[in-house]
Amino acid sequence: MPNSSSAKNNILHAVKGYQEALDHQQELIKTGTDFNEQKGQVANTIATLHPKRLQLVVSEVIEDTASTKTLRFKAEGIVLPPFQAGQYINLFVNIEGTETARPYAISSAPQQRGYYDLTIKRVADGYVSHYLLDDVKAGDRFQSTGPMGTFYHNPLFHGDDLVFLAGGSGIAPARSMIINMIENTLTHRKAAQKLHLVYASSYEADVIYENELKQLEKEHDFLTITWLISRPTEKYTGRTGHVNAELLTELLGSDLEKLQRKMFYICGPTSFHDFCAQQLEQLKVKARRVRIECNGPPKHPETLTGWPQDLIASDKVSVTINKADGTQGQFEARVDEPLLNSMERNGYSAENACRSGECSLCRVKVVKGSVFNPQEARLRSTDEAYGWCHSCVAFPTSDIEIMV
Amino acid sequence: MTDFDAIVIGAGNAGLTAATALQRGGARTLLLERHNIPGGCATSFIRGEFEFEVALHQLSGMGTEKSPFIMRKIFTDLGIMDQLNVVEERELYRVVLPSIENKDHEIDVTLPANIKALKKTLIAHYPDESENIEAYLTLCEKLSLECFMMLPRAQKTGDQTVLESTCPLYIQYGLTPSKDVLNEFFTNKDLKAVIAAYWCYIGLPPKDIPFCDLAVMIYAYAAFKPCHVQGGSQAISSALLESFLAAGGKVLFNTGAEKILSEDNQVKAVQTEHGDIFSCEHVISNTSPLHTFNELLDIPTPQQASDDMKSRRLGTSAFVLYLGLDCTPEELGVTAASNFIIDDRDEEVAFETMQGIVDPTHTMLTCYNHDDPTFAPPGKSSISLLCLQYSQAWQDLPVEEYAQAKYDFADKLIDHAERVFPNIRKNIEEVEVATPLTMMRYLNTPGGAIYGFQQNTQDAAMFRERINAIQGLHMAGSWNGMGGFQPTYMIGESTARAVLKKLKNTQSEIKQQELSHA
Repeated sequence: MPNSSSAKNNILHAVKGYQEALDHQQELIKTGTDFNEQKGQVANTIATLHPKRLQLVVSEVIEDTASTKTLRFKAEGIVLPPFQAGQYINLFVNIEGTETARPYAISSAPQQRGYYDLTIKRVADGYVSHYLLDDVKAGDRFQSTGPMGTFYHNPLFHGDDLVFLAGGSGIAPARSMIINMIENTLTHRKAAQKLHLVYASSYEADVIYENELKQLEKEHDFLTITWLISRPTEKYTGRTGHVNAELLTELLGSDLEKLQRKMFYICGPTSFHDFCAQQLEQLKVKARRVRIECNGPPKHPETLTGWPQDLIASDKVSVTINKADGTQGQFEARVDEPLLNSMERNGYSAENACRSGECSLCRVKVVKGSVFNPQEARLRSTDEAYGWCHSCVAFPTSDIEIMV
Repeated sequence: MTDFDAIVIGAGNAGLTAATALQRGGARTLLLERHNIPGGCATSFIRGEFEFEVALHQLSGMGTEKSPFIMRKIFTDLGIMDQLNVVEERELYRVVLPSIENKDHEIDVTLPANIKALKKTLIAHYPDESENIEAYLTLCEKLSLECFMMLPRAQKTGDQTVLESTCPLYIQYGLTPSKDVLNEFFTNKDLKAVIAAYWCYIGLPPKDIPFCDLAVMIYAYAAFKPCHVQGGSQAISSALLESFLAAGGKVLFNTGAEKILSEDNQVKAVQTEHGDIFSCEHVISNTSPLHTFNELLDIPTPQQASDDMKSRRLGTSAFVLYLGLDCTPEELGVTAASNFIIDDRDEEVAFETMQGIVDPTHTMLTCYNHDDPTFAPPGKSSISLLCLQYSQAWQDLPVEEYAQAKYDFADKLIDHAERVFPNIRKNIEEVEVATPLTMMRYLNTPGGAIYGFQQNTQDAAMFRERINAIQGLHMAGSWNGMGGFQPTYMIGESTARAVLKKLKNTQSEIKQQELSHA
């Protein structure tokens, strides 16, 4: 019982209102609880919205094209958490003993809570995509993060005039957004809202969801689709080329005011992002009207500004890891390989999700030596001074010692 | 020998401070944090070009370089003061009660961060009450000094005559409901609303706040200046962690505490979510007592803790919009960093609206780059727009409706603020929405509480005995005193001091035993 009687407090009875407060306390005790009935409530509430991990099982493997498959993931025993169309989950994989993960945008709609579809295209010099396309079958089990990311339609300021520039498998979040707009239940679509999808693929055979999207375009007035092939066969009669300023002007008009009211979403390979962003800049579209999905670490950090001059991509450095249990580990890594990747190849890990420098979950502290932080690394202003980096996009440029 | 002298659960303000003070005081300390970054709510996050401050609105208790106040001493003792670039704010706040028909605002008063100028400003706005204003501010000042200096001394003596002779104002006003004191001194309703605006930093209407709390707030902010730190509160958190590590402390991120293991009502060890068990003599819990006693402790909640919690009520959470705007503060019409936009002079109306997801009546807009341009990219503005709100209505929503409800309410909040700052929406470059459930997610607090329990009069430490049913288990955080930054740093520091003293006693006991055996 709170002690109103100890000598220390007794003199406070002289204070006006002291007794009233004590009386109030007694009153509250009568109707209050010790909150034991709330045990687990915080954890449960959060787990319904933002579970840290999902236990998933592949229920179906759908062949989309020769280079792309959609893996359908069902949750074990629970309804999957809601997400906003455009968000991703980070899928943890174990490939021949190496534990790593890759983020994939959910291509199914948020209204579908029975499963998440991940649409995976083979990456030419890839690692995880080969595994997912070649080795995974129905019944295989996986873990993932909950849905994450900021690449989605935000009704507070994105407006009703939307343009989605998709390159290759960048169509995955676009598909989720389109179906969400049709279903019109999660973040309601305003009547005036429209979406112009510009979908660029290298080859005709690479086009994902072609029939479905064509059908949806026919059925729904809000949707316009422009198809684009950059390396067409001779028999191809549709549009060819790249998503450049000229094409965008042709499709969207040149009225700057109108262009600046649109919201542009860009999702595709890194080179596609950079190219599209440049074109929009050329058209004087403000950065605040452009949303670019994050898409992995830079492939050739040695070509970026800020990279140490005398360092060659194939150089190797030694990475020493101060482990949580007080012991140390050590391995060699190429300077052009993201730190998180070389850690994982050597049996170490850090929590991670976006693997593009954005979510900051994989931050580690560089105790000795130096790393290169490209622009992708969205470090907090005080991070660099204290040696913190986002390991998914940090490249060791000298022998380093890190704390994980 | 135990693995550690002390284990600190949670790297929030109090946890970080306690851990740093303990390690620097010679105690072998382990700091556990379930997130990947130190700070708890004293943190920041990045969207586009913006780094958003999560929770700090006005840091109190720093004073100036020339006349430093207690927080500078604490930060110096913790070894981080030279790491911090302090930005003094020029204004306490601006209060606006917008007009309904686009005329001049009904109330529009900006209070400067200076005692003399504050008095002058108030008198200029409310000349009829000039004497009352003088008397009120004098009371605030004198009462604050009693609270800081005399009261602790008087309590130590245990002598009522000492209390009576040194704390006359405290006796008369200290625990009186703030509303009563405001009514006693002022007749003008506008003036009362303006001068009590800091009630938001406590989360209860003035009728439920003991006057000493409100008085100390306005006096201390005016006398010692509200301020910011470049890099935001994350800069403080990161500096504390660095100081802790430099002193040899050990931290584990992404490692929540799973159990506090005890034996015969004495703390023995902490088990982490990954299953590791570390033995220790002391545990400092920076998480809520609800979580500490009901979920972490390996035995049923001790009667003493259970009884203490029965008289408590969960405090408020908040709904916050973090806005990165593509315009300057000037273009937006910002003339003070902190702005209270109110629809009603009666704070109890606001408190009513805090209970559900209903149209907000009191919002607060903070512009972080008003006093220092480094807080936003050039030509842009970094804003937090919030209202206090309890979490229950959000918890009751079906998960499918959560996102839409979040945006709908955010829209209303922007509408509310746009009556004073009309160009918010059209300049949005980045926005992140945090609901009370977001607070719950990141702070792990019941109800997403941001200040701990409701801070009414009887909630204060003087009405509480230290919960000592479990030897070696110490609580440090907003749940055991006031919420906010200065109070949580201070409780972390004082808890560390108490633990260091105990450790010293234990060590000398051991030494004595060794000697007697020799």
